[in-house]
Amino acid sequence: MKFFRVIRWIAWKDLASEIRSRENISSMFFFAFIVIMIFSFSFSMDLQAAKDLMPGIIWVAFGFTGIIGLGKSFWVELQNDCLENLQISPAPKGAIYLGKLISNLIFILIVELVLFPMFVIFFNLDVLDKVHLVLLIFLLGTLGFAAVGTLFSAMTVQVRAREVMLPILLLPMVVPVMIGAVEATRGALNGDPWVLYRHWLELLIVFDIVFTVVSFWAFEWILES
Amino acid sequence: MVAIRGIQLSKAYHYYQVLKEVSFEVAEGECYALFGPNGAGKTTLLRVLATAQRPSFGRFEIMGYDGIEEKIKVREVLLFVGHGSSHYDELNAVENIRFAVAMRGGNPTDREIKITLDRVGIGAFADLRTRYYSMGMKKRLSIAKAILIRPQVLLLDEPYSSLDEGGMKMMNHYIREVTHQGAAVLLTTHDRLRSSEVADRAGVLQRGKLMEIAVKDLAAKDEIF
Amino acid sequence: MIKQMRRYESWFGAGAGICIIIGLYMGLVTSPPDYYQGEVVRIMYVHVPFANVSLLGYTVLFAGSLWYLWKGNPIVDNMSHAAAGVSAFFTAGALATGSIWAKPTWNVWWTWDARLVSFTILLLILIGYLMLRTFIEDKDKEARFAAILAIMGFVDLPIVYFSVEWWRTLHQPLSVSPRGLSISGEMLIPLIMMAVGFYLLFLYMAMVRTQMLYLEQLREAKKGRLLSQAYL
Repeated sequence: MKFFRVIRWIAWKDLASEIRSRENISSMFFFAFIVIMIFSFSFSMDLQAAKDLMPGIIWVAFGFTGIIGLGKSFWVELQNDCLENLQISPAPKGAIYLGKLISNLIFILIVELVLFPMFVIFFNLDVLDKVHLVLLIFLLGTLGFAAVGTLFSAMTVQVRAREVMLPILLLPMVVPVMIGAVEATRGALNGDPWVLYRHWLELLIVFDIVFTVVSFWAFEWILES
Repeated sequence: MVAIRGIQLSKAYHYYQVLKEVSFEVAEGECYALFGPNGAGKTTLLRVLATAQRPSFGRFEIMGYDGIEEKIKVREVLLFVGHGSSHYDELNAVENIRFAVAMRGGNPTDREIKITLDRVGIGAFADLRTRYYSMGMKKRLSIAKAILIRPQVLLLDEPYSSLDEGGMKMMNHYIREVTHQGAAVLLTTHDRLRSSEVADRAGVLQRGKLMEIAVKDLAAKDEIF
Repeated sequence: MIKQMRRYESWFGAGAGICIIIGLYMGLVTSPPDYYQGEVVRIMYVHVPFANVSLLGYTVLFAGSLWYLWKGNPIVDNMSHAAAGVSAFFTAGALATGSIWAKPTWNVWWTWDARLVSFTILLLILIGYLMLRTFIEDKDKEARFAAILAIMGFVDLPIVYFSVEWWRTLHQPLSVSPRGLSISGEMLIPLIMMAVGFYLLFLYMAMVRTQMLYLEQLREAKKGRLLSQAYL
């Protein structure tokens, strides 16, 4: 069906371009790495405080990474008039949104999956038996972030002061994702029983569903002439 | 059937009224060459017809579909080849074509793509990433896309720019072929000689107003505006 | 619609003025001080209306945004823009008066209460909305993008509220909260007076601002026509 083909092609195009040029992912990765380093210096004296704040640090780093990646997502379309081409394309706009969402999700997740072992090493986290939980939380949190971020990226790439508008608009909106992801990560890393932090995962799931649907609907208003 | 019909099209950007109640018709199988001084609004007219911009006033129809109410249908039958080539830098020619055609629901075979690339003269560069292409090569790639997309209405913004002699001949050959197949072509240009070889009708857009002129005047007269 | 606004706005303005003056008199002079909080509680007469009206304003913005996306009426867009600006003013007022109330009462300028945080997020969303509007040049795009932003923010706000509420119960036991205030009958009447007065004030300010925006757009269009005639 044409709808799914469009999604696949958009996602494939972004992934293939990124694999070949690696310019976005490398900047995302290095930026997050620097954030982790700075945090570790700040907390190196008090390891107990570091352990308590760990989930927050992780998600702050992921948040900044996400913003860089999301910003670039539509920035690349500005070359060669590709953005206008998408605007006047007969392809369903919702499919373009989902394709972009998938590629953004994959990029941010890749960076997270590379960074997380570094966290484990630097802060001596005990995670081997909880890896699957942590990965699930990463997925749900990143999905919420990317669902809204993909839409806002398409919006802000068409306005002035685009680099600063994306974080200004995005960060207040994703506060529930940050809270939910941090608390769930904390619960998982502490080894708390599932029931204690289950409702945070439910919050993330609700946010993800609501905002993927709303952004999917809203996208055609944004990517229109 | 009338392929392109403009009815009192007007477009104002902030302070300029670029198009002033432009009305005209282009029939199927016709090639209309549009001239005019720089800044007269030729590109704007094309972009309005391509649904990349909304007119401030007036209506237009493409293959009978209303340009404002039935935008999606218009986009399915129309192809706009503008200045920016809307290629993705990191993809090679073959991938770019596949992407562009897939977004419109097509699925060309490798053989078809290769043959088309040879036709437009960049067959040797098929596997080269388009970031290394010259302007002329990008133009040829745009034509290759158009050949495989087979639109019913083709809008060309300065098709001869960046092309060498062989390229311009190829462009004219393509335009003739496409009009024989029944598509309508509206092109803007400054090249009177080349366009007079393919144009069935011609017009001058000056100070926002459109005035038709005879094609035989194109080659004969010293200057047409 | 603009004509109706011009005709009735002074009624709203006068009504607002009257209610607020009466409400302030009753609230500041004739109503009793609170048993626990003393005179400070009188700030409630401004704080609660500020907060109520700010939420009302945001609802107006949400409804206006949906209406604009549905019908495309540019005056509805002006209304939404105006509602956003006035709501931002009321939200900031709610936060400021909330802070002024908190300091003498509980000795904190700020607490991570779900409502306070939600109002702060609301203010950030409104400021983002206004900033977005100034950074887009194409009028049609500006209206559409702003409408989408407003709708997304409105859907988000309840989720923000609940997530902060859960978080707060987890990390901070319920020690300080602007809620849990018992209101006697004598305090209720001036409060309602002030609330009604603030509603009317909101409508008055929004109507004036809507007309301002409409006239600005009209002026741009006329300037355009004049200049284009001179140029062409």
